[in-house]
Amino acid sequence: MKQYHLLIVDDEQRYADMLAKRLSLRGCHCEVCYNGQQALDLVARKNFFLILLDLHLPDIYGTEVLTRINVISAMTPVIILTGHGTEADRRACMQQGAYAFMHKPLGIDELLAILARIREMSP
Amino acid sequence: MMDRIREIFGSIWPKFNRQDNKHLDPYFTFTDYRKIWTIGICLLVVTALVPLLVVTIIHYQLLQVSVDSELKLRAERLASNARRAVTFFLEGRLDALRFAVNEIAYDQLTDPDHLAEILRNLKLGFGGLTDLSVIAHSGAQIAYAGPFNLEGRDYSNQHWFIECQKHDFYVSEIFRGYRDVPHIIIAVKSFRRDGTFFILRATLDTERLIQTLSSYETGAHAEVFLINRSGIVQTSSKHHGDIFERMSLPVPAYSLRTQVTMAEDDHKEPLIVGYAYIATQIADTPFILMVIKQKAGMMQVWQQLRSNINWFVGLCTLAILVIVTITCSYTVNKLYGADKAKAEAMALMEQSNQLATIGQLAAGVAHEINNPLALINETAGYVKDMFVLMEQYRQDDELIGYIDDILEAVERCGTITRQLLGFARKFEVKIQQVKLNEAISDVLVFHNKEAGYRNIKVYVDVPEDMPPIETDRGKLQQILVNLVNNAFQAIDNGCILDIQASPAGADKVRITISDNGCGMPEENLPKIFEPFFTTKAGNKGTGLGLAITYGLVKKLHGDISVKSKVHEGTTFTVTLPTRIPEETIENEGSTGR
Repeated sequence: MKQYHLLIVDDEQRYADMLAKRLSLRGCHCEVCYNGQQALDLVARKNFFLILLDLHLPDIYGTEVLTRINVISAMTPVIILTGHGTEADRRACMQQGAYAFMHKPLGIDELLAILARIREMSP
Repeated sequence: MMDRIREIFGSIWPKFNRQDNKHLDPYFTFTDYRKIWTIGICLLVVTALVPLLVVTIIHYQLLQVSVDSELKLRAERLASNARRAVTFFLEGRLDALRFAVNEIAYDQLTDPDHLAEILRNLKLGFGGLTDLSVIAHSGAQIAYAGPFNLEGRDYSNQHWFIECQKHDFYVSEIFRGYRDVPHIIIAVKSFRRDGTFFILRATLDTERLIQTLSSYETGAHAEVFLINRSGIVQTSSKHHGDIFERMSLPVPAYSLRTQVTMAEDDHKEPLIVGYAYIATQIADTPFILMVIKQKAGMMQVWQQLRSNINWFVGLCTLAILVIVTITCSYTVNKLYGADKAKAEAMALMEQSNQLATIGQLAAGVAHEINNPLALINETAGYVKDMFVLMEQYRQDDELIGYIDDILEAVERCGTITRQLLGFARKFEVKIQQVKLNEAISDVLVFHNKEAGYRNIKVYVDVPEDMPPIETDRGKLQQILVNLVNNAFQAIDNGCILDIQASPAGADKVRITISDNGCGMPEENLPKIFEPFFTTKAGNKGTGLGLAITYGLVKKLHGDISVKSKVHEGTTFTVTLPTRIPEETIENEGSTGR
């Protein structure tokens, strides 16, 4: 099974780590970072298959991070995964081209299903 | 008909029924409408009636005083005139006797023929005389002229003789005397040349006097008669005693002048009594002239007038009472209606405010819970992953079961928080044409299977020609899904669900969803749209379904109401506008975090 390179951006460190571990168990290669700037740096350096992005990051707000990711790597699908998303956030993110706007807590199977769909669509 | 009568009666005697809407009490401006109504009526009635009654009473008193004084004046005038006539009657005859004794010599007087001549002349000149006699100082009658032969009688012991001897003149009471005919004696004393005296006496016929008196009796209610000073009636009266009987009234006090007093007769009827002590210039008389008028009779005209005034005042009072009551009832009823409408609006506002506040609070809580929930989820998930991967735990169904419990609980919490967010969020409204029958059948597709195995009959009644409405299809369907779900949870197998749609006025449609399930007690109905209110046992409901439905209906500018009876069923009625005006659509899209 091909290893998918995922980036998890979330200021809740334990959550990000745990999600990374679980996805790793399911054959993904996950990287974790805890703030917006780190995420942007990583995206600039590496090519990710999918980015899971939280909105409430300590330095840069999620929508802004999304905008910048689109500039750096327009083709990378971004799934917003937030516990605090408002309707305005959802609209802003969808306009910015987010692949999906999901609320925590999210079942692992649901996430894997989305992953599978992206995989089907990708060349 | 009965309703109409009840309505009219209600407008005069309003109920201000507050029992039906106790929950509105805190929003009413005035608490006691019955009291306002009563005070209003009392004030108006007092303001209107007091002047009327006071003026009427004053008028009565003035009228009474003036009528009394008028009656007294008339009685006084009558008594005065009658007194003059009686005095004149007696005085004239006394003067005639005096003239006779002074002018005619004693010898001539004692000559019976001459005396008869004198009597004839006196009768011609004055009338009313019956006989004449001359009595010597010894009391013996010396000469007599008249119809009765009383010659030679001795009068020396007679009262009149003694009195005349003392006072020179004498006027007797009316008495029967030897002849048993009522008459008056007048007598004049004169002296002869030898110093002895003699008395010329005349008997007066009372007929003339009675005629004179009765000519003064005006009308049926006035009587004019004479009494003597001991109260014995001298000329007969109709009501106050016959001749020589004692008068029914007390003898009035002595007065030189004509007097008027008020009295009462045996039957307590008020009387006006005018009287005068009669005295001639030369001699006092025993007579008192009485003029007695029955006040009631005299006042008949005035009493008629008073009765008319009483009727008028009574009718006016009645009219004022009715008009005041109607006016007051109408005004206070209007006030009550306005106050009630205000209270209802405020209660509604309060409710939606409460819902909005609860919604915001719920959203905040949901947001805050989501992150820890996510952490629990992933951690528990990881533990499970570990267990699944590790040979030694994979077989331990009990442990895996515990983990699954945790995950399931998290999922349920997640559902609640998502619903809470949905409740608080202001969705965008997308207007499109929606056919109600299509929208309803789309919704029912989800329930067909359940209806099938639970043997629930679903009837849909939407008129074919019902025009589509302009609204948000998604939200309308969500409303319908929620309500149908709610009904399915409330009814037992084999029950009936009835969905109807119909136009409600020109610009509204009404959708009713009724079931014949278990129903709800009335006290639950006001709370049914509040978040977290649920009657479903255990964990079946989150208590958010109807709250969300309420929010959605409001978003579509509609109304939702519920009627329910325990064991009979529940009916939800959703009223939606056929068109939502563009400018009123709120699409702000944020809960303000």
